[in-house]
Amino acid sequence: MKGLFKSKPRTPAELVRQTRDLLIFADINSTSREAKREEKMAELSKLIRELKCILYGNSESEPVSEACAQLTQEFFKANTLRLLIICLPKLNLEARKDATQVVANLQRQQVHSRLIASDYLEANKDLMDILISGYEDTDLALHYGAMLRECIRHQTIARYVLESEHMKKFFDFIQLPNFDIASDASATFKELLTRHKSTVAEFLTKNYDWFFAEYNSKLLESPNYITRRQAIKLLGDMLLDRANSSVMMRYVSSKDNLRILMNLLRESSKNIQLEAFHVFKLFAANQNKPPEIVGILVANRSKLLRFFGDFKIDKEDEQFEADKAQVVKEIAALEPKDRS
Amino acid sequence: MADQEEQENRKISSYPLDHNSYKLLQVIGTGVSATVYKAACLPISSSVVAIKAINLERSRANLDDVRREAKAMTLLSHPNILKAHCSFTVNHHLWVVMPFMSAGSLHSIISSSFPNGLNEPSVAVVLKETLNALLYLHDQGHLHRDIKAGNILVDSDGSVKLADFGVSASIYEPNTSQASMSLSSSSNLMFNEVAGTPYWMAPEVIHSHVGYSFKADIWSFGITALELAHGRPPLSHLPPWKSLFMRITNRLRLSDFHEIKNKKDKKFSKCFRDMVASCLAQDPSKRPTAEKLLKHPFFKNCKSVDFLVKNMLQGLPTVEERFREESLRFSRRIPAVDEDHDDDDEQDVDDEMLVGPVVKNRRISGWNFNEDVLELYPVFPNQGSSSSSSESSSTQSDDHNQQQMMREKINTNPSQDERESSTVEDEFEEREVEDDQLQKVVMNPSSSSMEYSSSSTTAMVDVAPLIPNLETLMDSLDIERKMVSDLLNQIRGQEVTVDGDDDHQMNSREEKLHEMVRKLSFELHQEKRKSFLLEMELEYLRTTVNSGPQGSVEGATQ
Repeated sequence: MKGLFKSKPRTPAELVRQTRDLLIFADINSTSREAKREEKMAELSKLIRELKCILYGNSESEPVSEACAQLTQEFFKANTLRLLIICLPKLNLEARKDATQVVANLQRQQVHSRLIASDYLEANKDLMDILISGYEDTDLALHYGAMLRECIRHQTIARYVLESEHMKKFFDFIQLPNFDIASDASATFKELLTRHKSTVAEFLTKNYDWFFAEYNSKLLESPNYITRRQAIKLLGDMLLDRANSSVMMRYVSSKDNLRILMNLLRESSKNIQLEAFHVFKLFAANQNKPPEIVGILVANRSKLLRFFGDFKIDKEDEQFEADKAQVVKEIAALEPKDRS
Repeated sequence: MADQEEQENRKISSYPLDHNSYKLLQVIGTGVSATVYKAACLPISSSVVAIKAINLERSRANLDDVRREAKAMTLLSHPNILKAHCSFTVNHHLWVVMPFMSAGSLHSIISSSFPNGLNEPSVAVVLKETLNALLYLHDQGHLHRDIKAGNILVDSDGSVKLADFGVSASIYEPNTSQASMSLSSSSNLMFNEVAGTPYWMAPEVIHSHVGYSFKADIWSFGITALELAHGRPPLSHLPPWKSLFMRITNRLRLSDFHEIKNKKDKKFSKCFRDMVASCLAQDPSKRPTAEKLLKHPFFKNCKSVDFLVKNMLQGLPTVEERFREESLRFSRRIPAVDEDHDDDDEQDVDDEMLVGPVVKNRRISGWNFNEDVLELYPVFPNQGSSSSSSESSSTQSDDHNQQQMMREKINTNPSQDERESSTVEDEFEEREVEDDQLQKVVMNPSSSSMEYSSSSTTAMVDVAPLIPNLETLMDSLDIERKMVSDLLNQIRGQEVTVDGDDDHQMNSREEKLHEMVRKLSFELHQEKRKSFLLEMELEYLRTTVNSGPQGSVEGATQ
C-alpha cells in the first residue's frame, strides 16, 4: 500500500500538513496505547526526519531554497511549532533530536527576505516559557535548551526572556548538578547576555541592582568551581563590551565588587585568576576611582604589587603583559585620597 | 521503541550526581587531562562503572568542547556507542560516569596480547561493529574525529562500542568560532580545526585549510583497520608529532622508513585489502561513505561478537593488570624513544628491495598505500606530483594538486604486483624515469639527457612543464611554512587535544615536546632555505626555457 504512493513525492507543504495532523493526533491521544498509535508515531518520526532533510540537505544534495521557503511558510501558517514543542515529550529520542534541528533551522529561514519565525514567536512568546521550563526536566532540557538558544537569536524574543521572571531562574539552572543541563543553561545565559548588545545594555541598566547582587552572590561566590569560572569569564565579556560602558563604570565603582574580584584573583585556578584579572584591571584603570576603591587598593598595595610581580600565564601574550604593566603602574602611583 | 527509550532515560537518571555515591577502585587509564577509573556505584548495589575524571584546569581551556562532549554522550543512543550514565563536576574535575567495558580498549588488548595484530575474522567483527557506530554518528551529523583502536572498547560479552567524543563535532552545532556561518550553507559541513591523534589523521585534516568532513573519519577508520591487522598504526615507530610533521613537510628520508618488516608472512584477503584501500583514497570524495562501506563484501560473512569472546578475550589479563603493565613498560621505554632506529637500519635493504632500486636518503613526498602488503609506502616528490596531476580533474587548482602530492596515496607497488595491474605498473615506471630525469635536469639543465619522453621533440620543450610543478611546489612550501608555525603555536599553547592511550605517552614527553619545538624551528629554517633554493632553480629553468630554440621572443632575438 505504502509502496504505491512512494513514486509520488510529497511537496514540502504537504509534509508539514501531514506532520501537523499527526502532531494533533499525538497531542490528543496521549493515553491510548493501541498499535495504531505506535504506527502513527513512527510515521510522525519519519515525517520530521524528512523535514530535516529538506532543510539541511543530505550527503547527496544541498538544500533547495524554494523548498525550504515553502516548508517554512506552511510551518508558521498554522500552529505547527507550538504543537511540535508541546508534543516533544511524546517523541522518541531520535525524533526529538530531529525536531530540535528542524526548529533551529526554521529560525534562520527567510521568506521574502523576512524571518517569519520571528513574527510567529513574537505573537507566541509564551512558547519561551515552555522551553525555559525544560531545564527543570532532565529528559527535555537539552532539546528545549537548544531550541531556546535558537529562538533568542531574534532580538525581540531575547528581550522578552531577559525581562521575564525566568531570568532569575537561570542563576539556579546553571548550578544544576547534572553537568549537561547546567552547561546548556550557561550557554543560553551567556547568549542572552551577549548577543544583542543594545538590548543587553538596556537590560543591565534597568536591572542593575538585583542582577549584579545575584550575579555576585550566586555565581562569582558560588562554591562550585565551574560556576565561578564561567561567571567570571562572562562578567569580563559583558563589562568589556563597549555597549555596556556605563554599566561597567558603575560596576567598578563598588568596593564590594572589588573585594569579590580580589578574592577571585587569589584562587588556585589559573583560569579563574586570569579571567578575574581582566575584570580587576578595569577597577585599576578607572580614572575616576571613588575614594573607597582607592582606599582598598592603597591598603593592599604591597600585596597586590607582589602578586602581579609573580603573576604569569603560560602563553606569551603581549596584551596581557601590557595590561599588567599598566595595572602595576596605576596601583604604584596611587595616593590615598585623604592626603591629597 | 519510545517506551524503551523512556526506560533507558529513567535508568540513566537514576545514577547519582554526587561523588560520594561512587567508590573509586582502580586507575585504568591516564591522559594529559583525564584519568579513567574503575569505580563502584554504591547506591546501585555497588555496580561497576567507569569514571572519566577530566581535569578542567589542564589542557582544555575551552569549556565549550567539554560541553559538546557531554552533550554528545547524552544524546547519542546506539548499541555500538558508549553512552554516559551521567556527568557532574567535582571541584575542578568533570566526572563522566560510563558503563565499565571490562575488556578495555582494542589498543590495550592488542598491545598486551596481540602485538602483531588480530586475525582477520576478529578484525572484521571489530570493524563492522565500529562501522555501525560510525554510520549512526554520521547520520546524526556528527564527526567522531578520533577513530582509533584506543577509542574502541570491548565488553566481556564481546560487544564493541566506540568511545571518546572529546574532539567530536556536530555539523548542527558549529562551535563559537564558526558561529557566524549559516547553518544551511554547505560550507558549514566543513571543519578547519586540527583535531584527532596524529597517526590516524586524514591528510586533509592535517592540511586543515582545505577543510574536511565525514570522510576524514573514514580515513581514520582505514588506519584503524591497519592498526588492528598489524598491531600498530602506520608510521607509529615515529613520535606522533614527527609523523604529523612529516606528512606536512614530506621530509622523510628512506632510512627513516622501516615499517615494512616481517609483514609478508601475514596474509590478508583481497577483500580486506580492497576495503582498506578504499578508505585510504587520498581524495576524500573517492572514499566510500560509512553506509557504502558497510555493504562491502568484507563485512558480508562477518562473524558475531561471540567470536571475539572465544578468540580474543579468552585468557586476556584484566584491564587493571594491563594498565599496570603498560605503565611499567612505558616508564622503562621512555629513555630510549628512538632505540628502534638502530635495530631497523638493517631493514633498509628490505625496504629498497620493496620500493625498487632507489637512492637512499631521497626525499619522500607522501605515502602510497600498498594494497598487497597492506602498508603505506613512501611516494617520491616527482612521482607524486606527476601522478596527482594525471589523476586530478581539471577543476582542481594547482594548489590542490600540490596538496595531493603530500598525501598518502593509494598505489600498487610494482615490484610486489608485477602482472596483476600492468597499467599502474607502467605508470609507476614512467614516473620512476621522470624522477631520475628530474634530478638530472635539475643538476644539469642544458644536458641532452633530458630527452626522457619519446613524445617530446626537443630537450628544451620538456623543461617547460616542470615550471608549473616547481611553482606549485613553491606555493605549497609557503603553506607548509604556515602549517609549521601553526603547529608550533599549538605545541606551545598546549591546545592540542590528544586523548586516550597516547596520553601518558605525550604527558611524559612534555620536555621532549620542547625539544621538538626547537627541532621544528630548525626544520622550518631549512624549509625556508629549500624554498629559496627552489626559487633559484626556477629562475634558472626560466632562463633556460627562454633561451631554448622554441623559446620566447627573448630567446629568438639572441
